[in-house]
Amino acid sequence: MINALTILFCLTLIYLAVTTRLSAYVLVLVLQGVLVAGVHTLAFFHDLAWSHVAVAAGVLIVRTGLIPAYIVKIMRDLDMRHGDGTRRYHPGFLIEMAAVIVGAFVLSHQLSRFAPVNVIPLGAAIAGMAAGGLLIVRRRLLLAHVVGFLIIENGLFLLGLGVRAEMPWTIELAGFLDLFVLVFLMGIAINQLKTHFPEGGSDELTGLRE
Amino acid sequence: MPAILALLILPLLATALAAWSRSERLGHRVTLLGGIAHLAASLYCLLARHDPFPAGSWLAVDPLGAFFLVILSHTFVLVVLYAPGFLRRMEAPEYARSRRLFYPALNFYLLANTLVLIVQQFALLWVVMELTTFSLVPLMYFYRTKESLEAVWKYLFLVSVGLVFLFVGILFLGVSAHGVVDYAAFVVSRMTEAAPRLNPLWLKASFIFALVGLSAKIGLAPMHPGDIDATSNAPSPIAALMAGSLRGTAVLALLRFYQVVAPTGVRPFADRMLIIAGFLSMAVAAIYMWRSRNFKRMLAYSSVEHLGIIALGIGIGGVALFGALLHLLFNSFGKIALFFMAGNIHHRYGSCEIDRITGLTRRLPWSGFVWGFAFFYIVGTPPFGIFFSELYLLLGMIRGADWLPLTLLLALLMVIFIGMGRAAMRMLQSPDPAPQSIPASGERFELSHALSLYALAISAPLAILQPAVLFDALRGIVASFGGNP
Repeated sequence: MINALTILFCLTLIYLAVTTRLSAYVLVLVLQGVLVAGVHTLAFFHDLAWSHVAVAAGVLIVRTGLIPAYIVKIMRDLDMRHGDGTRRYHPGFLIEMAAVIVGAFVLSHQLSRFAPVNVIPLGAAIAGMAAGGLLIVRRRLLLAHVVGFLIIENGLFLLGLGVRAEMPWTIELAGFLDLFVLVFLMGIAINQLKTHFPEGGSDELTGLRE
Repeated sequence: MPAILALLILPLLATALAAWSRSERLGHRVTLLGGIAHLAASLYCLLARHDPFPAGSWLAVDPLGAFFLVILSHTFVLVVLYAPGFLRRMEAPEYARSRRLFYPALNFYLLANTLVLIVQQFALLWVVMELTTFSLVPLMYFYRTKESLEAVWKYLFLVSVGLVFLFVGILFLGVSAHGVVDYAAFVVSRMTEAAPRLNPLWLKASFIFALVGLSAKIGLAPMHPGDIDATSNAPSPIAALMAGSLRGTAVLALLRFYQVVAPTGVRPFADRMLIIAGFLSMAVAAIYMWRSRNFKRMLAYSSVEHLGIIALGIGIGGVALFGALLHLLFNSFGKIALFFMAGNIHHRYGSCEIDRITGLTRRLPWSGFVWGFAFFYIVGTPPFGIFFSELYLLLGMIRGADWLPLTLLLALLMVIFIGMGRAAMRMLQSPDPAPQSIPASGERFELSHALSLYALAISAPLAILQPAVLFDALRGIVASFGGNP
């Protein structure tokens, strides 16, 4: 069942590649939050480690509730509810995303020859982290970059399960701290960006050059 | 207890007091007193090899951490002494909010960096590394301009992505210790003891991710761009702080991983990665120093160069590691002087463009003199300390018969010397007339000049006399990595 949820996680990445709407990005974050919480809940029933419960609860509250709500608030404040400025769907991004996901699972399978890993969760984790990076590189909107970073972090939460780490709960909570404070600070930065960079696009960040 | 008070509690109290107080003078005094106490405690911990924390706890001041604490404290105190002069120039209303946040943020910066240097538990290390990033944001955004906001955004983003990589590195380190070390012992000393039994595949992956992740904070290529923009757009005292201490803090975090890797078969691989990162950084610095039209960006690339040299020294090991540690210390001295003078020049000329800075020795004789002095310091001219630290590095390469890397290093140093020299000499001696608003002379000798000259001058007696209390501590650190200094 864990494998099924992590495959669903990969499907959300495909959806990410075919949409250009910011509201869709937020929906992806919510879906991924639910899936990651589900994965950790199932992991709890597998090894009865209470850290999984803490992580699942935290993910549900923070990643499925607070963070998407905060991003929607920022979108409202910056007056960018639906559009993200890219305007057009490019099939090339879908092909790249598919290649990333396939490559991640191939890598995970190769790693399984050298170390005891859970191939599918590890593949999904690597795919998530790579997909977040791809979103950052391919999308010009700064808020999309924030979403990309959050997707990288979602992949990170799956990575612990993938490598079969008996992860100390402190590390998981450290991930939440990073996420919360980072989004908070990015929210501040984005609100300040509205004053200086009204379009909110990365092509406006070109003032600093050699 | 007094050491813990000075290292942790005083910066925390100073942050709170500076934030609560509306008086800038009180904020400065509290910050300065806290910094001096911090420096005294750091020196005591280093020279007396004193660890004020209980054995086996998640906090400890080992000799390596004590050495970096001294670099942090010393840089901090000099910046705090420079700060009032800088703030007097920033009396325009648009800087009012930044001035109010200045001393609280500065104290928080000291606290956050101190925590990184004394934390021994890897997960906690990652958390406090995040804190150092956040502590810098209000300081970097001092000018509240479009450019500084862009710099803050890029820095925050790139460093955060880098810290995700570091997180993965810590995760893999934990995986490598599976079945060998339990969570309660996920501290540097226990991991180092158990290192030969760790899984080498995951240990290698851990080091790679830690190196890539921390490169963004250290300023090593190719993760350096955010750092360049941040350093060149930050106020000069903050740029001095970043160049003189923040990068060193990140180097220590990397050395914590290296301490675990050093007694294992993964060490040669880690050394190769460090050497590659070092040469790549020096090459990038060499190229961009020739292209740079902004002297603060040029200084930022100089930091990339010197951190590359340090990475190289760590990778080569032995006497080169000894040189790398000295280089960290002496580089902080040089960067303090350079950025303090950069601030003076920027303020008087109203620009950081190299082409607009002309006749510096005539227009600003004291700043020009110190700027020239600092240039010769940072390019490794004897008898300054950087000359000696680079000499140890070269000695390490000669002992290892690494002739190709040695030749490459010398070539890169030469290119950097010429590139930086072109810009520095043009600024000092160009005959083109300066803008009419700059007075021809009349610059008085100020505290900024005194601080800079002190920072430059102190390295020579340290390097030549080699005081036993300091150098024995450094030799002990090198020996702990299995090297022979």
